[in-house]
Amino acid sequence: MPRGRAWAVITTAGLRTFFARRAFLALLLFSWLPFIVRTVQIYAAANFPQMAFIAPTAETFRQFLGQQDIFVFFITVYVGAGLIANDRRANALQIYLSKPLTRAEYVLGKMAILVTFLLMVTWLPAILLLLVQVSFAGSLAFLKSNLYLFPAITVLSFVEAAMVSAAMLALSSLSNNSRFVGILYAGLIFFSDALFGVLRAVTGESRLSWVSFGNNLAQIGDAIFRVPLRYSTPWPVSLLMVIALVVTSALILERRVRGVEVIA
Amino acid sequence: MLWSRRSVFLGLVVGGPVVLAATLRLAELSGLLFDPRRPRPAGVVVYGMMIWLIYVRFLVPVLGVFYGTSLIADEVDDKTLTYLFTRPIQRSAVIIGKYLAYLVCTILLLLPSVVIVFFLVVPLGQGATIGAMFPTLLTDLGMLAFGLAAYGAVFAFVGARLKRPLVVGLLFALGWEPAVLIAPGYLKRATVAYYLQALVRHEMPQDSPASTLMQIFREIPPVSTSLIGLAVIVGLGLWLAGRTVEVREYVLEQ
Amino acid sequence: MTADAGSLDARVREGEAPRAGIVVAEHLSKWYGQIIGLNDVTLSVPPGITGLLGPNGAGKSTLMKMITGQLKPSQGTITVLGERIWGNPALYARIGFCPEQDAFYERMTGLEWVTALVRLNGVDEGEADLLAKRALELVELSDAANKKIGAYSKGMRQRVKMAQALVHDPELIVLDEPLSGMDPIVRRKTIRMIREWGRQGKSIIVSSHILHEIEAMTPNILLISQGRILAEGDVHQIRSLIDEHPHTVHIRAERPRSLAREFLAHDDVLSLEFEDDAVVVETARPDMFYARLTTLAASGELGTIHEVTSPDDNLQAVFQYLVKS
Repeated sequence: MPRGRAWAVITTAGLRTFFARRAFLALLLFSWLPFIVRTVQIYAAANFPQMAFIAPTAETFRQFLGQQDIFVFFITVYVGAGLIANDRRANALQIYLSKPLTRAEYVLGKMAILVTFLLMVTWLPAILLLLVQVSFAGSLAFLKSNLYLFPAITVLSFVEAAMVSAAMLALSSLSNNSRFVGILYAGLIFFSDALFGVLRAVTGESRLSWVSFGNNLAQIGDAIFRVPLRYSTPWPVSLLMVIALVVTSALILERRVRGVEVIA
Repeated sequence: MLWSRRSVFLGLVVGGPVVLAATLRLAELSGLLFDPRRPRPAGVVVYGMMIWLIYVRFLVPVLGVFYGTSLIADEVDDKTLTYLFTRPIQRSAVIIGKYLAYLVCTILLLLPSVVIVFFLVVPLGQGATIGAMFPTLLTDLGMLAFGLAAYGAVFAFVGARLKRPLVVGLLFALGWEPAVLIAPGYLKRATVAYYLQALVRHEMPQDSPASTLMQIFREIPPVSTSLIGLAVIVGLGLWLAGRTVEVREYVLEQ
Repeated sequence: MTADAGSLDARVREGEAPRAGIVVAEHLSKWYGQIIGLNDVTLSVPPGITGLLGPNGAGKSTLMKMITGQLKPSQGTITVLGERIWGNPALYARIGFCPEQDAFYERMTGLEWVTALVRLNGVDEGEADLLAKRALELVELSDAANKKIGAYSKGMRQRVKMAQALVHDPELIVLDEPLSGMDPIVRRKTIRMIREWGRQGKSIIVSSHILHEIEAMTPNILLISQGRILAEGDVHQIRSLIDEHPHTVHIRAERPRSLAREFLAHDDVLSLEFEDDAVVVETARPDMFYARLTTLAASGELGTIHEVTSPDDNLQAVFQYLVKS
């Protein structure tokens, strides 16, 4: 095995494990329902002049990615909660790290599992939707006038996948109980949303949207897709919060992913 | 259960609203945070919003999901279930005993948080006084305790029945319930939130399109119907949970 | 319910004495999907100490779990102390179970844990404390009673597990691999303890995959393999049957032919074959053969012996051989 490729072994094994679970396959399939709905929308708009009002715009793709957030959440909990927690429970970290595998490769391998599945419900259907639009429209006009869509979809999907998987892996490394990790993650997302809801109601403004991790991602997404920002928080602030989350996650992982637990 | 690391952590989560309430109080005293050009919402309104957004829609369902699903699932994962199921007591008694422990612990975690938030937030701005609002606090405490009981019972059953109860629990509490509450028709009666939210005396905040839709399609059953509904949910949930553990074989992975 | 279960019920109803034994199984089978855990097992475990012996994956734990009511029969019946066990929690007042898994409430002390469990037997707090202390004393854990289980050594963890099985003074104690992970000294102590409990009139079913461990505890064994009972009875008789069965030994060595010449000089060698750099010997008296082989290996006079192995399923082969003959 060439050096630096060990992570791929972890990723492949992880992907196979989840693909073997029927419940997970059902969840994946279900998460493609919005894609089917949008496909029908695009087809109708392209083939029925009276349905032209539902013709897709650039914002349609932004909305589509926003709608996939709920599936991103459930897949993250399903796949991500146990990624490191289960290894900790089984004392497998020691075994992994006694192999010619660095900690970074271990984390990268685990992260790649979650990122792959997240891209399967964000980037992949969004890109396919773009291709569907081109094929149903029978011309490249839409694509030519919205050339930025391809990189926008790609960047937002990857930013989302990276942020979410970094946060979930960090939480997963904090416990050996995957259920607890799932709740922690749900807490992070929904509590911060609730917090923002209260602050917005109290202050009458949305400049504190950066307290919510979901809103930070939404704000960045709006900026990437060049649509009006939904909150008054400047998007660089949201980006900074996302970066801070990823950095904090990396620090937690650096401290927690060890072959031997250091008890001071 | 109360002094486990997890409970301590969840205690911190439950302390989050207290921190928020304290921050708002400090912000008011210092003049920061609030725009003087805008009218400031009254303390009771803010308190009501926190009850809705933080406690009713988030903490109560999430505590119910976490602890309720953990009752049996934790024992299975930790392989300690054998010790409980080879004692001369009914298996259903085990799960009901653990459920009661869950209820006591979550009430002890959550209700003090609500009380502190009440005393911090209600005096904010102009509005009703603490004395005038005190009966509302008691109603809220009862409502939240009922919510914990109902969600706990439902997820005790889910945890006893399923191998991966957390995802199903979150799907139910954070997916199914909000979706069904928006939809017109009778489907909403198959939720805990329908009965629980009817007991909330505060105005529902409209912080999102979903909340607005919920407001439009909201049916508010009478208090007696809600209480009976919640009692039925608790009874049914616990009966199903007890029945499940009596007949199910738990094969602990070696 | 199957016809077998019905026939047992009918015998009980008519007042006919059921088959004697503290555990009685009739045509007992258990499967998990496509996997058969137990296959048409009929047995009667007598009072006293009975060893359940079999290789890993033989069905020992499945049988133990069915005896302790954690698994329901897929077919057939099983009674413990004359009563159905599944769905009969009252019977647990007379049974103590020490499971194989190393699982505890790690934050509790040994005393707290055993006390909490015996309280589930309906015992009040004061009495539970006394009983727990007594049980811990029996397993020589009194000194560590107030230490957290998380800090216990492997041997201590096994012993505190046994304490919770004994604490309510049951008639039947079921021990699933109780010696697993123990060092030799603790192992000897535990074997002595088990024999003492047997002398006190308790019935004990103890499982292991190591014959000499069981031999040290009891002469009465049940031999299980691939979900079936292969033999039951006195261990010495079974041991001699094994010894009489031709025993195959695979020896990879530097000079296999030289070794073969030496082996053929003794009449316990029935046959031999050559493979690449090895010789495969069939011997009628394995103990004698191994003793000679050890001497040869130590002296090195016939070259270096790299590896000595014996087929895994030889125990199964013994009984297939016996069944056919």
